[in-house]
Amino acid sequence: MKFLPLIWRNLARNKLRTALTAGAIGLAVSLVCLLLTMPSGLDMLLNQVASNTRVVVHNEAGLVYPLPYSDLQKIRSLPGVVAAASWTWYGGVFEVEKGVTFPNFAVEPEPLGSVWADWKIDAKQLEDFRRYRDGAIVGRATLKRQGWKIGDLITLKGTLYPVDLSFRIVGEIPNERAPHFLFQREYLDQALKAAGRNLDTLGIVWVRVDDPARVAPLMAQIDQMFKNSEAETASETEKSYFASFFSMLSAFVTIILIVTGLVALCIVFIAANTASMSVRERLGEIAVLKALGFGRRLIFATLVAEAVILSGLGGAFGALASLGFTQLLHARASSWNSSLGPLGSFIVTETILVQGLFLALFVGMISGVVPAFGAARRSVAATLREVF
Amino acid sequence: MLPLRYSLGNLLVRRTRTALTVSVVALVVVATTLFGGLVSSLKRTFATSGNPRNLIVLRKGATNDGSSAVPLEAYQSLRFFEGVARDAQGQPLASAELVVQPFFHTPAGGRENVLVRGVEPVALAVHDEVKITEGRMFEPSSGEVILGRGVAGRYVGAALGSTLKFGHGTWKVVGIFDADRSSLESEVWADVRELANDAKRSVPYSGVRLRAAEGADLDALARRIGDDPRWALEASRETDYYAKQAESANVFYVIVFGLAALAGIGAAFGATNTLYAAVQSRRAEIGTLRALGFSRAAILISFLIESLAIALAGFAVGSAIAAGLARLLSWWLGGIAFGSQTFSTNVVQLRVGLGDLGFGLALALAIGLLGGLAPASRAARLRPVEALRKA
Repeated sequence: MKFLPLIWRNLARNKLRTALTAGAIGLAVSLVCLLLTMPSGLDMLLNQVASNTRVVVHNEAGLVYPLPYSDLQKIRSLPGVVAAASWTWYGGVFEVEKGVTFPNFAVEPEPLGSVWADWKIDAKQLEDFRRYRDGAIVGRATLKRQGWKIGDLITLKGTLYPVDLSFRIVGEIPNERAPHFLFQREYLDQALKAAGRNLDTLGIVWVRVDDPARVAPLMAQIDQMFKNSEAETASETEKSYFASFFSMLSAFVTIILIVTGLVALCIVFIAANTASMSVRERLGEIAVLKALGFGRRLIFATLVAEAVILSGLGGAFGALASLGFTQLLHARASSWNSSLGPLGSFIVTETILVQGLFLALFVGMISGVVPAFGAARRSVAATLREVF
Repeated sequence: MLPLRYSLGNLLVRRTRTALTVSVVALVVVATTLFGGLVSSLKRTFATSGNPRNLIVLRKGATNDGSSAVPLEAYQSLRFFEGVARDAQGQPLASAELVVQPFFHTPAGGRENVLVRGVEPVALAVHDEVKITEGRMFEPSSGEVILGRGVAGRYVGAALGSTLKFGHGTWKVVGIFDADRSSLESEVWADVRELANDAKRSVPYSGVRLRAAEGADLDALARRIGDDPRWALEASRETDYYAKQAESANVFYVIVFGLAALAGIGAAFGATNTLYAAVQSRRAEIGTLRALGFSRAAILISFLIESLAIALAGFAVGSAIAAGLARLLSWWLGGIAFGSQTFSTNVVQLRVGLGDLGFGLALALAIGLLGGLAPASRAARLRPVEALRKA
């Protein structure tokens, strides 16, 4: 500890170089932190939104293949099912010119509160949703992006169905990342009847199961029930359902991780360069210290400590910078990052901060070891002869 | 002027220092060109899609053909609109298409939404960039399909001559097609009626593609379709449609530029350090050179050349690694899959193109200039007497 002032003096000796190195390491660490938000955003989304007692049932052939509406009743009658609701994609567009889209689904209003109890939709708003046939419950992400509020009237243009529907917003899903726009199935059904069409299919069924232990057997039971029917089903947990959406991004995430690795390697070289330069310039001094009786180990330790402190400082600066940068980004709440999906969450978690900092410390250590080892081992006489 | 050999020779004196700095620049170049290559590869798949003489007709408001519905009667009437091209037999070059996205299963057990386009044989004449390279076109109503090059080999049963399962039925693969590396290469084509049956679609078509006749005004034709009061349809140029899809890739450029800026400045700091150290250890030499009569400009330029040489070496090493890595990744990952707006999978072959390398070069030069300027000007400002005395 008493050598801390020495280390500090050494760092302060070439302030410009120390600042530039810390800056370079800081920039690289902040970059690593920002890149790491992408894969971690995916994980976070899955853990945040997915409930372990909610199951989704869809057509085995694909998500755009419908199921008969009668499936819903059959699923509801199974033991262990607390509630079940269907989603049918309406494909409505808000502003045709701008092509503003968000996922909009027709749903039964009664089971909404129990299937998505974890969404914590206001009881009064749920009540309104049941009462008003043209009511809509909208996720906060879409409300914010469009600047809508409860009570607003809006019209969506149907692209898949030949009907346009007008809604009044009666409630919100209180989750910053929820984009959904949900409305009464009955409303779509009646509009289609008026247009001479029938709504006898559904998109997917969401099932709330009473006990997590019962989830797997129930999924098997549902799929067994519709085996060899016109439309076979595939049931899966909410988590695996969302994960499959993003599995096609997995190669992309691999590349992001590779790039992150490259940037991390960059830090090693920058730090190693600085460490080797400062050790080289101080060879004479180090020889004098050794001649005065300071041990090899001590010299090695102070040199490594110097490198670690330098990159630690850079790392801390970088981690904080990434945090500040993302806060700024979120404050602006620009719409562009929504098209990146969960990759664009840009949320620097504590884990990422710690990872960034540890990366810097680790890098500082390995970058300092080689030159410090060389300097500590050098023979005093040879060095002094060379330098003076 | 100082000879070039002086600058380059100096770099070889402190080999470790030079090598470390070159490595930093190289890594930054690899990271940016690799990522930039990914984004530009994605963009290229859209940018090369579409024929300038084609119109795409969708339901008003639909942003892609996966979320659109066009009734049969509309198609029947559109075919005979004035301005639609005809083939040698007098048949209109109008292709009614149905798009569905069934699950395809990867050999690893994953599943992806693949865009299956139901078409009639006329589609080959309308999308004339599509060329069947192996096998033949499917026969209508016989359960046959053809695969885009990006799909072939990626999924279970996706090979010429094998049986492919998707939707409710099984299909025989009779051909593989190329489409100028456009997004069509990530599609599977089947007979439109069979596909509609299989998917139990009540509205048979998602959209219609029209080829405009020679000399016909595309915009006038598009307006006539849009203004027709019988159907709420909207026609746009195919190239505009795909350009809009390509815009969704622009978001990724923000990441590329952010990456380049942050990593580039970091690398410039590293280069500055190296050159300051070089200036410091060569004070006496610089003093001597000045005393011999070399001008400040000559010293400045000599140090700038040193830093640019480091940057160029970094670029050379970095771009070689990036190009190799891109190939390796492409082979390892079997094409990079992207979920497009329609939620169907777009298979992109990762390639570091000339544009990406150009960007990498510009970045490396910027690093060299930015990193070299301050130390070089310090060297140039050294006063010969002081430099010599201190040494």
